[in-house]
Amino acid sequence: MSLTLDALAIYKDNHLMLQVSTHVLPGMVTSVMGPSGIGKSTLLDAISGQLSAPFSTTGQVIVDGKGVHDMPAYERQIGMLYQDPLLFEHLTVSDNIRFAMPKTEQKRLGRDQVQAFIAEQLSKVGLSDIRHRAVQTLSGGQQARVALLRTLAANPKAVLLDEPFSKLDTTLRQQTREWVFAQLKDRSLPALMVTHDMEDANSANGEIIEVSL
Amino acid sequence: MSGFHRFSITMRMMFMCILILPVFAGLVGVLMPAFGFFPALGETAVSLKPFSQLFANDNIVTMSWLSFSTGIFATLLALGGALLLVAVFYQRAWLNRIQHLLSPLLVVPHAAAAIAFLFILSPSGWLARLFSDATAANPLPPDWAFPYDPYGFSIILALTLKELPFIFLMLLSTLSQPQIELKVKAYLKVAQSLGYSHITAFIKIVIPMIYPHIRMPLLAVLAFATANVEIPLILGPNDPPTLAVAVLRWFNNVDLSMRFQASAAAVLQLIVTLAALLFWYLGERGVAKCSPRILLSGTRQWSDMGLTLFAAVVIGVYALIALLLVGSVFTWSVATYWPYADMLPQGVTFIHWQTALRSLAVPLGNSVLLAFGVTVFAVILVLLALEGEVQMTKGMSPALARIDRSIMHITLYLPLLVPGVAFLFGLVWFQQMYFSSLTWLHLFVSHLIYVLPYVFISLAIAYRRIDPRYIKVAYGLGKTPLTVFFAVKLPMLVTPIAVAFALGLAISFSQYLPTLLSAGGNIATVTTEAVAAASGSSRRLSAVYVVVQIIMPLCGFILAWWLPNLFFKPSLQATPSSQGVKVYESNP
Repeated sequence: MSLTLDALAIYKDNHLMLQVSTHVLPGMVTSVMGPSGIGKSTLLDAISGQLSAPFSTTGQVIVDGKGVHDMPAYERQIGMLYQDPLLFEHLTVSDNIRFAMPKTEQKRLGRDQVQAFIAEQLSKVGLSDIRHRAVQTLSGGQQARVALLRTLAANPKAVLLDEPFSKLDTTLRQQTREWVFAQLKDRSLPALMVTHDMEDANSANGEIIEVSL
Repeated sequence: MSGFHRFSITMRMMFMCILILPVFAGLVGVLMPAFGFFPALGETAVSLKPFSQLFANDNIVTMSWLSFSTGIFATLLALGGALLLVAVFYQRAWLNRIQHLLSPLLVVPHAAAAIAFLFILSPSGWLARLFSDATAANPLPPDWAFPYDPYGFSIILALTLKELPFIFLMLLSTLSQPQIELKVKAYLKVAQSLGYSHITAFIKIVIPMIYPHIRMPLLAVLAFATANVEIPLILGPNDPPTLAVAVLRWFNNVDLSMRFQASAAAVLQLIVTLAALLFWYLGERGVAKCSPRILLSGTRQWSDMGLTLFAAVVIGVYALIALLLVGSVFTWSVATYWPYADMLPQGVTFIHWQTALRSLAVPLGNSVLLAFGVTVFAVILVLLALEGEVQMTKGMSPALARIDRSIMHITLYLPLLVPGVAFLFGLVWFQQMYFSSLTWLHLFVSHLIYVLPYVFISLAIAYRRIDPRYIKVAYGLGKTPLTVFFAVKLPMLVTPIAVAFALGLAISFSQYLPTLLSAGGNIATVTTEAVAAASGSSRRLSAVYVVVQIIMPLCGFILAWWLPNLFFKPSLQATPSSQGVKVYESNP
């Protein structure tokens, strides 16, 4: 799986804001850095198909060799991770992950196997005992892990990260960062990360794109 | 664009049509007879005869002035009181207490409030008993002008006390919007650091900032106050009454030719309401012109102590009146013999309850059925309209989106700004002309016109406040717009939906004029029965009706607060051992 941006240009009110071309290999994390307000998060919206007026785009987004530019957001199979975990508070930890699992996979596995799969995923990251917990009762680190598990449960073909570690304290930040990058590598998922933090970009160990005004 | 998005945009159009078409159809239906055109009564020529008939009435100026003045004074007093309470108690612990005191009063129907006032203000009410000469052998009720005073003081009092909680809660709702709240708190800090007292800073800085946000609901209150029927009908003078009450009487006159004069009077009512709105607008301009002199005078403190004391008196009087109103109707509803000037009846009986509940069974069933049907439809339509708004404005330029928002805003307030008496009669004329057998449908539509705006206003804030990143995450998980709407947005909105639902029920329960006119008196609800009973002979039965009217919307709100917690909060359903556990970890 790979993610390619082929001369993807973003316009605001028909004025060019930025243009990016890059190719992210499986398991690699490309970082996008630059000052606030330059349009880094807008770039992620453009890739995931969630851009709205007054923005518009030209160029191509290619996921796993297939152009997705004309597809609606929900068909692109591009997962999103933000600085806030954004877990759905009306669902438990287990239900958040189940919500992300494709219907076909849930049908194939059957009810019990789905639960077993969720339990296995959680136990792999040391969260086996929180399956039925309300998400509001989790710590920041736990929420971050559940958020990634949820993203991965949807079987995405690429992942976009919007300053995903900026709200974690220094120790947790480093640990969570390493864990997230390892998970992406394990699953050979290409990822594009927007960040302000040079340490994030260095840890990602991938290409760094500097955008400037 | 997905099929669901297209559907939601269509529903938004439908929402706007439901608010616009009946109002315009009703206005046309009133304007035609007002200008002498009413084929059903054999008049097919356009003339000004109805207006000349109307202006030949000696009392027409008094009636118009009563409508105008009661509306203006009540709105001014309610606004002044609400602003004073917010200015004095904002960021104070008392604000919550006042909110808890005023919120239940908001759901009491106008008719119920007016009847309860009648009990207190009448010459044999608690107020008169309190000041009667207890030493006299045969004390007689005082001969005072209340409640049917010719100047409309009773109307002003009742309208003020009924509208103050609405304006107060609108202010709080505006102040609680995250962006505004942040700004207000920061502004207050800055102003206080410049030496302004908390209250003066609020009045000088915050009120000018938040007034534009409550302007539209305020104008709706003013329009309602100038054309309200229930309160002047129950508490106002009879000869001459307010214009809106006169319109109602002329329309219901057995002499059908009076319809022409009634229609002309309905048009005049529209003009009176427009005049009140214009007067208010000029008042705003005047205040805006004078305000820099006051705002920039450099005065750091406007007698904070005096204002706090005044606000405390306002809230004290309010609490006392609320207590008297509730106490009075409850006492009358179970009273046996209660001679003047005893403060309490000689005994307690539930016979009035038994009698009233027997006769109320059908109206109660009608009220609940109608309110449920209308509110379920309204909540579904509003949610789809809000979803449609998101999808529609997505592709719009900011300028176009602003125009769209303005059109929606005006549409939303249209049924609240155009007086009911000015368009409901015309609407009934259309309904009878084309679908005369569908009484329930007419009733449904006329209630829906009033329920939809409140449900929309109540839900829109919460809907627009949903963090869009949740939606982006869900789309990233491969969920379709339909799934995102049902599985992400609706569960997040469950409490606001429940509150909007309760509000919709309360609005429908309280409708008097739309029910009376659309059903032609054939379908009774608790409110129409209560108003009818208010002019009857049994004060005790009337009291039971009022209590039922108060209990009905309250039940809705209690369920709205309780049910979401019961069904949609995993944190409350979790086992005690797993609740609220803080986990500290060394590994991610």
